[in-house]
Amino acid sequence: MTSLTTSTPPDLSGRNLSKRRAFANRTATLAIGLCVLVAALPLVLVAWEVLSRGSSAMSLDWFTEEIPRNYRTEGPGMGPAILSTLTITGMAALIAVPIGVFGAVYLNEYGKNKPLAKFIRTMADVMTGVPSIVMGLFIYVAYVVVIGEKLGFAGALALACLMLPIVIRSAEEMLRLVPDELRQASAGLGARKWRTTMTVVLPTASSGITSGALLAVARAAGETAPIIVTVGLTYIYKPDLFYGENTTLAAQIYRNATQPFDASQERAWGAALTLIAIVFLFTILSRIIASRFAIDKR
Amino acid sequence: MKLNRRTIFGTLTAGALAMSMAACGGGGSDDEGGSGDLASGELNASGASFPDAFYATAIEAYAEVNPDLMVTYNATGSGTGKSEFGEGLNDFAGTDSLVGDDDGVEAGSFQYIPTVAAPITVSYNLPGVDGLQIDQETLAGIFQGDITAWNDPAIAAANPEATLPDTAITLAVRSDGSGTTTNFSKFLDEATEAWTLGSGDTIEWPGNAVAGEKNTGVAQVIQDTEGAIGYVDLADANEVGLVTAAVENADGAFVAPSLEGATAALDGAVVEDDLSYNPLNAAGAEAYPITAPTYLLIRTEYEDADIAAGVKEFVEYLLTDGQELAAEADFAALPAGLQEQALEALNSTIAD
Repeated sequence: MTSLTTSTPPDLSGRNLSKRRAFANRTATLAIGLCVLVAALPLVLVAWEVLSRGSSAMSLDWFTEEIPRNYRTEGPGMGPAILSTLTITGMAALIAVPIGVFGAVYLNEYGKNKPLAKFIRTMADVMTGVPSIVMGLFIYVAYVVVIGEKLGFAGALALACLMLPIVIRSAEEMLRLVPDELRQASAGLGARKWRTTMTVVLPTASSGITSGALLAVARAAGETAPIIVTVGLTYIYKPDLFYGENTTLAAQIYRNATQPFDASQERAWGAALTLIAIVFLFTILSRIIASRFAIDKR
Repeated sequence: MKLNRRTIFGTLTAGALAMSMAACGGGGSDDEGGSGDLASGELNASGASFPDAFYATAIEAYAEVNPDLMVTYNATGSGTGKSEFGEGLNDFAGTDSLVGDDDGVEAGSFQYIPTVAAPITVSYNLPGVDGLQIDQETLAGIFQGDITAWNDPAIAAANPEATLPDTAITLAVRSDGSGTTTNFSKFLDEATEAWTLGSGDTIEWPGNAVAGEKNTGVAQVIQDTEGAIGYVDLADANEVGLVTAAVENADGAFVAPSLEGATAALDGAVVEDDLSYNPLNAAGAEAYPITAPTYLLIRTEYEDADIAAGVKEFVEYLLTDGQELAAEADFAALPAGLQEQALEALNSTIAD
C-alpha cells in the first residue's frame, strides 16, 4: 500500500501549467470576475441612485415630524411611517417567529418523515412562492372585512403569514445542522426529549434561527401590496396597532412616488433610503449574530 | 466577548415583549375633548385616485380649520373604494364612476356628492408644433390607429397654419385599469361615429400604443417619445409641462383644456335627481369636451353619530371653502348651482 504522505507538498500555484491551461485558467478567472461585477452593478447603481436622491430629504425633522397631508407641501416628515414600519414588522415577527420555530422543531425533532411533516414541508415551500398580495387579500377577507376596520395589526398578520414559511424552512435547516451526538449525549444523561430540545438543540441552533428570522423580518419590512389592502393610511403617530388605520414606509414610497410633484417624489426617495437603511441594519445584525455564535466556533 | 446563548434568546424575547407592550399602550384617546361644536376623531376614506391631489390639498387645509378631526383619503382606485364602502371599511368613498350592480354597494345606502371636475388633456410631443387643434372624428381616428402619421390630411385640415412633420404617431395609454381611460373612451364612444373600440377602464389599444402606469407614467411616455400623443389629467400635464391640444366640443369650437372650460362643461351638463351628471361633450361654446366628474359616496345612515357629524362637517368644507383650493390643485370647482344642490343633498342626507 502506497503512502499518501509525500515529503514536499504539491505545487498548487499553477506556475508549472502548460501555456494552454494557464490561458484557460486565466480566462475563466477573468470571466467569473466579470460576472461578479455585472451581478453587483445593478445593486451598486440602485444603492447609489437611492442614496443620491434620498439623502437630500434627510434631517432630524424627517425622523420626527408627521407626514405632510398634501403631496405638494415641501418639507420633511416620515416619523409615523418609520415607527409603524418597526411596530408592524415587530408584531409580525412576534407572531411568526415563535410559531415558525416550534413548527420547525416539530418537523425536525418529532415529525421527521411522517406524512404530516412531509405535507407541511411541501406547503411551506409552496407558500414561500406565493405573491405577497395573496396574503394581503387573505387577511383582508378573513380579518379586515370580518372586524370591519383596517388596522395596523391586520398588516402585522399579513406580514406574519408571509414570514412564517420562510422562518419554518430556515429554522428547520438550522436544527438539522445540530449534531445528533448532542441529542444522544443529552438523552444519555437522562434528559427527556422536550428537555433536550429546549436546553440543547434550540440553544445550539439559536444563531442560525435568529439570523434566518431577521432576514424574514427584513423581507417583510419592504412589502407594499399586503400593507396597502390591510392597513390603510394615516399621517400621524399610531403606536397602537389595534386602533385606527396605519401606514408603513413601503406604503408611503408607493403613495408618494405615484404623484408627479417634486415634493412627494423627494419624500418617496427619502422613504426608500430610510427603508433600505433599516433593512441593511437588520441584515448586518443577523450577520453579526450568525458569525459570532456559529455552531462550528463552539 | 462570550455570551451565553440563553442570555441572548432571553434578551431578544424580553425586548420583543417590551416593544409590543409599548405598542399597545398609547393611542385611543383622540375621542375626548372636542373643541366646541366642531367634530373630532378620525375619518377614513378611500377610492378614486383621480381627485387624490385635490383631496390631499383640502385635507391639509382642513387640518388648520379643525385639527381635532383627522381625515385620511387613501387613493386605492374607484372600484376598491366602492367595494370597501359596501363592506363598511371606510366612512365615505371617492369614485369617478357611478355605482353599478356588481360594485357591492347596496342601492339606497349612499348619496352622490359631486366635488370637483377636471379636464382630461390630449397631450402630445411634437417639437415646434403647439396649439394643435383636433376635431372629434380625427381624435377617434388617431386613438384607434386609423391615422398613423402626424402629417395626415385629417390633422392638417384642422391646422392649416401648422407645418406637420411625417413623424409616426405613438399612442400613450394607461397600463392599469383607470377612470381616466373610462371617461376618455366614453367621450369618444358617445361623441364620434368612427370610434369602434368601445368604452371601459381598459381598452384594446391598437399596435402603436405604449402603456404607462397611472397618469404620471403616461405623461412620462409622452415626454420621452417624439410623436407621442396621449390622454393625461391636467394636473400631471401641467406638472410635467406637456403641450396640450385644443379639442373640438359639441358646439364645434376648439377649446384648449382649462379649469374654466371644465367648469363651463359642468354648467352645460344635465344633472340627474341623484346628483350624477355627465359633463362629457357638454353643450356650450366655452365647454371643454373631455371633462371628467368625480363624486364622493356618503352613507344615508351612519351607525356612529360622531362619524356622521364629522363626515358632514368635512364634506361641507369641501363644498364651500374647499372649492377655492380646487384651482390650486388643477381641478375645476363646481358651478354655483351644482354646489348649492350638493349642499342641499348633504344636509338632507345627514340631519343634524
